Amino acid sequence: MAGTPLPKRRRPPRLYRTARTFRRLSAVALVLIVVFVAVVAFSALQVVRTKPGTGNLNTGFAANDTIALTGAFTLGNSGYFPISDFSLHFRVLTQSDVFLGATSAGPVNLPVGQNTSFPISLYFPLRSGGPAESLLTVNQYLEVFVWANATYGYLFPVSLALEDNKTWGAPFSDFQASVGSPYPNGSVPVTLSYQNGADLDEAGTIDFAINSTAGATCGTGAFPIAVPSKQSYQDTQTVAIASGCSLAGATLDAVYLSNGVAIPLPPETLP
Amino acid sequence: MSSVAPAVTAPTPPLEPPTEYLGYRVPPLGHRIIISGLYLVPSIVLLVGLPVAALGYLQTHSVALPIPIGTVTVFGFVLSILFAVRYVAKPTRLYGPMTMVTSGVGLLYLWLLYTQSTYTFSIPNATASIGLTYADLVALLMVVPVLKIVSGAVTTVEDLRAPTERLPYDFPA
Repeated sequence: MAGTPLPKRRRPPRLYRTARTFRRLSAVALVLIVVFVAVVAFSALQVVRTKPGTGNLNTGFAANDTIALTGAFTLGNSGYFPISDFSLHFRVLTQSDVFLGATSAGPVNLPVGQNTSFPISLYFPLRSGGPAESLLTVNQYLEVFVWANATYGYLFPVSLALEDNKTWGAPFSDFQASVGSPYPNGSVPVTLSYQNGADLDEAGTIDFAINSTAGATCGTGAFPIAVPSKQSYQDTQTVAIASGCSLAGATLDAVYLSNGVAIPLPPETLP
Repeated sequence: MSSVAPAVTAPTPPLEPPTEYLGYRVPPLGHRIIISGLYLVPSIVLLVGLPVAALGYLQTHSVALPIPIGTVTVFGFVLSILFAVRYVAKPTRLYGPMTMVTSGVGLLYLWLLYTQSTYTFSIPNATASIGLTYADLVALLMVVPVLKIVSGAVTTVEDLRAPTERLPYDFPA
């Protein structure tokens, strides 16, 4: 007679059961990890589809002789996992790589289903000889660097580095001041011209003074200003010159005054 | 008086091979080799074909690769072949050690990924780059081969103590 086959339901030996348990645990772990990664990847795609970004940045004059670049970075977390330790860093350079300013936000945790807006406020000092002086009179491209760091899906630290060239329209683009030939009465015509290339409307006055090389003030005046965005301006005024004041090599120093803000314009040397 | 005819007795059936007595049927070596050869196809597709295709796609779009294609190809082929050999060796005492070796190579592969687990790539036609660190994921994945190594070690001990003990369960008749 043939040997008795083992019963189908016979309990396997202990070592066999142990090895089988580890094999099954391994398979379960692999499946769980693969499913988790797939869900995280799909979830991340949902976040990217909300198109996070800065949108348009606003330009404006601010106190302390500064020009302000303000806006907001908006990020919506439409995925299935919170975004942890999200931080954002901005750095702005002129087209000639002169550092203008930097700002940062965070780190914060962004819960699922929440739209978060991070305010961006960059103030560039416009003092004469300062790094941002060219922003007043030169249209250019600003180099904007953005870094963002976050952890997504608990396991994945992600970083984003972005370089973008933003068009900068100078509020006093091609600013020129010239003095014409003196009239018989000793006064001179002073002509001011520029283009408002910025996204802001200008309203106020440009006060100016003609200063001789010896430091004496030869004459003063003021141009009333009401120049909408992207419009040109040109005007001429007659200025009485103090007797004995030489205009050779003199400088015309101008200041834009508006709503309590005083923005010094680049000095123009007269021929 | 008629003589009593000798009782007719059924012929004694031939003894079945020992495997049948123990309630298991080990596939012949040839069958195991053929089956393991068939297993090679999906293994190579999963471990070599798909990853190399994905990396090739990145390469054609000028995106930096997180790991060289050669490394993926070599480890993919080696792992696929080890999986096949392991299956062939399943009824033998080599099964446990082969499980440990295969999982060890898998662990080495993951370790290599772990050491290069910060991947930074530039987006083509854009001045942007994205960095992704997946060290924690790879570390978590290492649990899989580690569990397999433990399983292989237990099987090795079992085979040393009782060489045919697991065969009725791995190859039931």
